[in-house]
Amino acid sequence: MIDTLLLLSLNGLIWGLIIALIALGLSVIFGLLDIINIAHGDFFMVGTVLAWFSLQVTGNYWAGFLLVPLICFVLGAIMQRLVIQPIRGNPALSIVATFGLSLILQEVVRMTFGATPRRILPPIQGTMSLFGIQYDIYRLYAAGFSIAALAAFFLFLNYTKLGTWMRAVRHDRDTATAMGVPARLVYIMTFAVGFALAGFGGVVAAPITTVDFRGGVDLLPVCFIAVIVGGLGNLPGTAAAAVLLALLEGIVQSFANPTLARITSLLLMSAVLLLRPQGLFKGFAK
Amino acid sequence: MSGRALAERGLLAVFVVFLLTVPWSVPLLLNPFWVSVIAEILIWSLFAASANLLFGYVGLLSFGQALFFGFGMYGVGIGIDHFGLSFWPAFGLGIVAAMAMAFVSGILAVRLTWHYFAIITVVFSLIFYFIAVSAKSVTGGDDGINFALPPTFSFGTVQYSFADANFQYFFILAAVAICFLLMHLVVNSPLGKAFLAVRENDVRASLIGLNVYVIRLIAFVMAGFLAGVAGALFAFFGRYASASYMFYTFSGEAVVWAIVGGAGTLFGPVVGASLFIVIREVVSTHWEHHSLIVGVMAILVVILAPKGIVGLWRDWVDTPADSAEIPAAPELRTEP
Amino acid sequence: MTGSMLKIEGLTKRFGGLTAVDNLSLDFPEGKLHAVIGPNGAGKTTLFNLITGLLKSDSGKVQFRNHDISGLKPHQISRLGVKRTMQIKSVFNQLTVAENLSITRQSAQRFLHPLRPASRDRQTRERVDEVLEQMDMTRLAGQTAGTLSYGDVAMLEIGMAVISEPQLLLLDEPICGMSPAETERAVAKILELARTIGIIIIEHDMEVVFGIADDITVLAQGALLVSGSPKEIADNEQVREAYLGRPEDEDYVDEAAHA
Repeated sequence: MIDTLLLLSLNGLIWGLIIALIALGLSVIFGLLDIINIAHGDFFMVGTVLAWFSLQVTGNYWAGFLLVPLICFVLGAIMQRLVIQPIRGNPALSIVATFGLSLILQEVVRMTFGATPRRILPPIQGTMSLFGIQYDIYRLYAAGFSIAALAAFFLFLNYTKLGTWMRAVRHDRDTATAMGVPARLVYIMTFAVGFALAGFGGVVAAPITTVDFRGGVDLLPVCFIAVIVGGLGNLPGTAAAAVLLALLEGIVQSFANPTLARITSLLLMSAVLLLRPQGLFKGFAK
Repeated sequence: MSGRALAERGLLAVFVVFLLTVPWSVPLLLNPFWVSVIAEILIWSLFAASANLLFGYVGLLSFGQALFFGFGMYGVGIGIDHFGLSFWPAFGLGIVAAMAMAFVSGILAVRLTWHYFAIITVVFSLIFYFIAVSAKSVTGGDDGINFALPPTFSFGTVQYSFADANFQYFFILAAVAICFLLMHLVVNSPLGKAFLAVRENDVRASLIGLNVYVIRLIAFVMAGFLAGVAGALFAFFGRYASASYMFYTFSGEAVVWAIVGGAGTLFGPVVGASLFIVIREVVSTHWEHHSLIVGVMAILVVILAPKGIVGLWRDWVDTPADSAEIPAAPELRTEP
Repeated sequence: MTGSMLKIEGLTKRFGGLTAVDNLSLDFPEGKLHAVIGPNGAGKTTLFNLITGLLKSDSGKVQFRNHDISGLKPHQISRLGVKRTMQIKSVFNQLTVAENLSITRQSAQRFLHPLRPASRDRQTRERVDEVLEQMDMTRLAGQTAGTLSYGDVAMLEIGMAVISEPQLLLLDEPICGMSPAETERAVAKILELARTIGIIIIEHDMEVVFGIADDITVLAQGALLVSGSPKEIADNEQVREAYLGRPEDEDYVDEAAHA
């Protein structure tokens, strides 16, 4: 019993770190571009699929850790320019446009990758003993990669020119533009970075989940909920909410079936939304 | 009467004549299969109208209309399968269940607006989706409930039921037409104008004496009614009820149909639903990947016609709107 | 001696560490045109928001003609006949001028008919035409509010406040951003309205304030500095001090004092 609890909590925690990556991408796109990105779950899915292709081509899973985010970044930049830029500033239209993107991504994956879900073997096999249970080594690597990527993202936001521009545009678009920040470039980069984060999440997660063209559909609401529960625009809050939510689901899963766990976490989220609509962590982060 | 109003009247008349003659004209022109596709489009139009009433007229973006569609559907399915109800009580149960659910969830949901409202509607509908999936003994889960169709009317030995394709079509047409007529009356009434006031500027609306919360709740229950009728009709139409129709992606489709057709217009949802389902039906027989075309269409429409197809039509015929006109495509606030 | 129209007792509103309105007590007698002035951040708009229920006070009481209206919702207060305009003009942008007015008029009714066409309400239509004429906006009736000039939006907003026969009208910087001609027109309207309706006006244009107000209340940092007739205010040393550091406003006071 305790072992199951520990195992599922660890699984939840690690899954939460991956979701945090994806949700952060969603949050910056939302905060900067006013885009409700229905395709964001599919960005993650594309990451897992690209990881599969990258493994087929290079024969080395680790190559995907570099290739996939890069490809996603480029795809994101192109999509922003072609689809998002023309309808920017209108959240309602963004729903339809990204819904269209979502269909296109899923369908292209179904055409190329196929409709059958596949599994990828982790690049590192085996288990190690951790707190008295045998635990997959790759999952620990996954946690490490996610934490590193989260840290890199926050460093990027705070210490690079582009990151500073992004924060400035989000804070006050007009002033930032007046100060000479190239807003259009920032928009393109933001969307690209958001896609790249989700794609990276996909590479990290692919060996511990299935690669499936519908793989983003279940994930999307979870990411949105993390963004809202963490507090709109509160990036550390978003990351923390993602981890907490997944951890919570993991814990409940050790007592009840996964569906009941999902229902419990959804009920809790409704409570947070209704009682603290400004987010769970208001007052903690900046 | 302006040229535009005449053109619109003419188009409407052609449309009505077409709908009334579908069971005879369509098999002649295409094939009988399309009669049931058109019946399905009518049901989806009503479902999209439910999302449109909230988003287009009151400014609330709901991603949870599938919940009420599902309640309408299960009201009928469970009513017939578990309680042995006949047609009308089952129909009533579906609608009442949907409205009751809309009322209860609305009490909580309409306290929130914009992003928060969108998210809480997703969360509510997910909760009930998962409950429906796991309560297999009641709902049949993803497989759903199949039920035998009771007759709609029986006069002695003469029975009318959905087994008769023409009867089925006309019943659906009548039910959907009544709902659209009701919606037409509501959006032009003082209450409908109050909806617009809330959509345009909720602070100002409260300062002119409107109870914004109650108005949003009324709209939410009305939208629940529309989605519930659509769900109940779909249950009769398909002879089954299934949890898969309660998933959030399905709610999202209703929003997309409404916006592509023209949010805040009465016929926008009809146009949007027709467009997407006709594409699906035409392309899917030739090409498996019809979703690709639907995706490209959705993007093209919002880039080329941001007010939706009906909005584009109105701009194109273009005369200055008279005071009875309802402006298409609501102003969007990005502030919560 | 007329009675009190609006009475405020010990009203306090804090935003985090900032006290926007600080234990404020005011009394606005019936039948006068009151002006509330004060430097930026004095709490004028917050005061209006507290009176109209858009903000909840931390403590204190607001009484409108012996009704305790503190804690009521904005629509409840509006239905008692307290109407206001906003500093940032607030109308229904995508609707026409006539629709803005008719919706406002119909919203004052307790029951909104859900099925009868709104346009068939003849009484409302007549009242809309009346107000359009009163505001000199008849020619703009069919125009979308969002496309109006700034001054016309401000006039429309006043029209919306007036159409349901208010008892008390709160005007928050009604002429801010208007051209001189528009200002003249608006001031004339306000004076005309003041003959039948109690009016409290927040305004930065001191020339206007000292020209039209019967009473002036000066706020500074959320508290009452002084109130009195325009003459008393113009001669008051404290008022001059409150405006020091804001030479612009000081000039206005000087100008007004010597006007």
